[in-house]
Amino acid sequence: MSRVEFMQGNTACAEGALAAGCRFFGGYPITPSTEIAEHMARALPKRGGVFISMEDELGSIAAVIGAAWTGVRAMTATSGPGFSLMMENIGFAVMTETPCVIVNIQRGGPSTGQPTRAAQGDMLQCRFGSHGDYSTIALSPASVQEMFDLTVKAFNLADRYRVPAFVMADEIVGHMRERVTIPDAVEIVPRRKLEPGQLPFDGGEDGIPGFAQFGSGYAVHVTGLTHDERGYPDTMDAEAHDRLVRRLIGKIESARFDIADYEVENPDAETVFVTYGPPSRTVLQLLHDMPDEGIGHLRLRVVWPFPEFALSVFANAKVFLMPELNMGQMAREVQRHVDQPVIPIPKLGGDLHTPAELKQALEAYR
Amino acid sequence: MKLVIDESRCKGCNLCVLVCPYGIFQEGSELNQRGIAVPRLDRPERCTNCRLQHLYGRLLCGMCQMICPDQAIRWVEEEPFEPHSVVVEF
Amino acid sequence: MTAEEWYRADRLPHIYCAGCGNGTVINCTLAAVEELGWRREETVFISGIGCSSRAPGYILTDSLHTTHGRALAFATGVKLANPGLNVVVFTGDGDLAAIGGNHFIHACRRNVDMTVVCMNNMIYGMTGGQGSPTTPPGAFSTTTPYGSGEPAFDLAELAIAAGANYVARWTSYHVKELVKAIAAGMRTPGLSFVEVMTQCPTNYGRHNRLRRVSDMIEYLRTHALLVQKKERLVQEGKTVPDEMFTVGELVRRNRPAMGVRR
Ligand SMILES: Cc1ncc(C[n+]2csc(CCOP(=O)(O)OP(=O)(O)O)c2C)c(N)n1
Ligand code: SF4
Ligand code: SF4
Repeated sequence: MSRVEFMQGNTACAEGALAAGCRFFGGYPITPSTEIAEHMARALPKRGGVFISMEDELGSIAAVIGAAWTGVRAMTATSGPGFSLMMENIGFAVMTETPCVIVNIQRGGPSTGQPTRAAQGDMLQCRFGSHGDYSTIALSPASVQEMFDLTVKAFNLADRYRVPAFVMADEIVGHMRERVTIPDAVEIVPRRKLEPGQLPFDGGEDGIPGFAQFGSGYAVHVTGLTHDERGYPDTMDAEAHDRLVRRLIGKIESARFDIADYEVENPDAETVFVTYGPPSRTVLQLLHDMPDEGIGHLRLRVVWPFPEFALSVFANAKVFLMPELNMGQMAREVQRHVDQPVIPIPKLGGDLHTPAELKQALEAYR
Repeated sequence: MKLVIDESRCKGCNLCVLVCPYGIFQEGSELNQRGIAVPRLDRPERCTNCRLQHLYGRLLCGMCQMICPDQAIRWVEEEPFEPHSVVVEF
Repeated sequence: MTAEEWYRADRLPHIYCAGCGNGTVINCTLAAVEELGWRREETVFISGIGCSSRAPGYILTDSLHTTHGRALAFATGVKLANPGLNVVVFTGDGDLAAIGGNHFIHACRRNVDMTVVCMNNMIYGMTGGQGSPTTPPGAFSTTTPYGSGEPAFDLAELAIAAGANYVARWTSYHVKELVKAIAAGMRTPGLSFVEVMTQCPTNYGRHNRLRRVSDMIEYLRTHALLVQKKERLVQEGKTVPDEMFTVGELVRRNRPAMGVRR
């Protein structure tokens, strides 16, 4: 039996985390994400979990990574300025292959920007924001239901691929209230355990090493330095670094077919909207208002690793239109993969595109 | 027991020379294969640990070992005593 | 060797310079661990970045070598998520008091049950000898070529003010006392802070006419003032020399602590 509730997106995100078995939350208050921390502060102690309000976001993500190494599912939630502060340790989580979930309820930037308005301005930061080469997984919810579902999914992907996973939501889905169906139990994909005789950073066939949580007797050395399969620092060997970085990227990019999650509408269309997050709602409204088989829609729930194969579903596409709450961040990525023109439709300031605005763009470019 | 310096670890800092109450460690002068002047041991059998560790069943003084930053000092079991024939010369 | 089986023998010799005090501090910490009888699989060593922070990599337990300044925040996560683990943090003066200062005071305030061993060599060692928040006024470094013009932090006092349950300071010369202090800290629930004044002959010594290891040891020995002696001086109305630092057990108390094993 599942239950149906009317709730806020941030609450649904916290409920999703709890359903996924998250038992550690480290955070620092920031609008518009704070409701997640508040909900976890109430709920976690009742379930034997730990909530801690850290001294800053550098500390929040650090505590989350530390907790993750004890074997628990751990998360933090923040917004732009806090997300920026987390960047160094996000790279550390990538390098040490620490599964954890980072929720970013995006707001208008740069800097303190618009604390109470929505944006999608951190879509490249979550992919490239820490120094060095790497790959991560990022999900983009477009409804309160997806705040729940994709948070659960983020935990499963983080554990499956040993990588920090991002829920790249925004103020709109974070603060919106909608009906949510909460199942009694959700699917849990556990971390693969380190087997005796295996090395703690040996990726094996799929590039994903087994996990030995602290206290399990394997004496694992975890370091952000370039390391060999034993976990020992090996910082001068060019080949060792090349091997490690290529594996960290390869384990995610080669799994992008499995990780991908998207919806396709009107695959034969010549004009195709590509969206993720709330702007997809405007496209749905438009297609509802004026049904037209000539207008396609690709809605991404997984944004990174980017599923370029989803674009080729639209064999007749002549143009891709991308309404985003930024200056065209993901449009760059899409343009990398297609020969047809990709038209960014930026919207800044915190409001969604109106159907009329999209209609206008449609008329201009189809 | 016998006091030994592990030449593969010693970096020749001479901290042991500084702390041994018996003056057993003497600054080395010859460089070994790693280019390090490992201290010389002067009559190490004077060391309390060499003589009495077994009797007391624990580490005694141990200053040199504790301060050695390179984990190079240890006591090892000696070969069991073997009777030699003593040639007495007149 | 004391605590031989606690070392990752396949990683020795370590990267420290000849005569660096960090290796001694690891010896003393492991001797304290042996005294307490901790089990290897229940013990985690955590550190930030710096020469001192390389220490966990040489110890055969689960170990977390993190980012510059953040060791205590990582350690807070580990300890709160699993209070059954014994957590020891190795850190340097730069790691702890400069970039990590905020985490330091908050870890003391929370009094998270762990032992923090700070190897204070009064310099940024790993980056080649720049002035740190504990570089004494007047001391030379590559970024204080005319002598440091800033006052220095007293890390032990800072830990006391911020609320740590156990605070002691010794030097890497006072090995027996240091082992006792670390062991006492490990026995005390809550955050235990042990500051170890440590010689960095390569970078501190070189700039301050203390190039020989024995000169640096002499400096540590002659600048250490036993806390009881200091109190006597104060009682007698005598002046305590500015350039000396107190050593000994500075605080042992029982404020409420977090993450204590149930
Ligand atoms: C964010 C960041 N800033 C700067 C550095 C460069 N860095 C590496 S070690 C270090 C200083 C370490 O000094 P300390 O903590 O006193 O340790 P020591 O090497 O003296 O033991 C610095 C500044 C870094 N690794 N990360
Ligand atoms: S203290 Fe250790 S490293 Fe230094 S000279 Fe003596 S044996 Fe060698
Ligand atoms: S630079 Fe200083 S602190 Fe670093 S290893 Fe050398 S002596 Fe030790």
